[in-house]
Amino acid sequence: MAIVVKLDDLLHEHRMTLTELAKQIDITLANLSILKTGKARAIRFSTLEAICDVLGCQPGDLLEFHSDSRADKRSRAA
Amino acid sequence: MKHSSVLPVAWVTLRAVIALNWLFGAAILTLLMATFIAEQWTFTALGVAPSSETHPMIIGMRAIVVLGLVAIPLNYAVLRRLLAIVETVRGGDPFVAANAYRLQVIAWALLALQLLSLVIGGIGKVISTPAIPLHLDAGFSTSGWLAVLLTFVLARVFAAGTLIREDLEGTV
Repeated sequence: MAIVVKLDDLLHEHRMTLTELAKQIDITLANLSILKTGKARAIRFSTLEAICDVLGCQPGDLLEFHSDSRADKRSRAA
Repeated sequence: MKHSSVLPVAWVTLRAVIALNWLFGAAILTLLMATFIAEQWTFTALGVAPSSETHPMIIGMRAIVVLGLVAIPLNYAVLRRLLAIVETVRGGDPFVAANAYRLQVIAWALLALQLLSLVIGGIGKVISTPAIPLHLDAGFSTSGWLAVLLTFVLARVFAAGTLIREDLEGTV
């Protein structure tokens, strides 16, 4: 996937577990786990805002774009 | 989701119509076999005594009976899939890709049935004579063709709805 969710790294930096974050931002652990493992199709602004608020980060700290995935797709299509 | 009483009624009705469809199929098959085994008796009973004059009419009537038989599996294809859709609605999860596919198959089957109806109606008009008029409930039907169009559109709506739901399910 081209967009990588770095929630694991952020949680590690803040010495926080996924369960604790889930409780603080009022999102189910299952949904947060989907986000952490990169299985989510989309993220709501409200979720992004809540995570950034609790972890004191910017959206860019949470999400990262990997252009090599696009190159992979192009080479596969060719 | 609040359960509607319409769904159990629809389920039972569809089951009954499926059984009736097979019964009609058996009746049509019996009629077709009778036209060969007891030609004289069957056609006389149908009001067309076999003779050289009525021969084209007899061939046409046999063709109509065969086309009627073809309609049976098409009817079944529609009813069976409609029943499966009703079952998914009862299960509380109708917006699945399988239902979009089922609706598309239903639309094609309805299209085939309408074409069949046109052919049957056409044969009926050709073989009908003033002396022996043939009154068939077949031919062009505005509501039938509208149902075909509606089902094709509905299949696309379902397919789009299923994608939207999948996206929504993956939204955190």
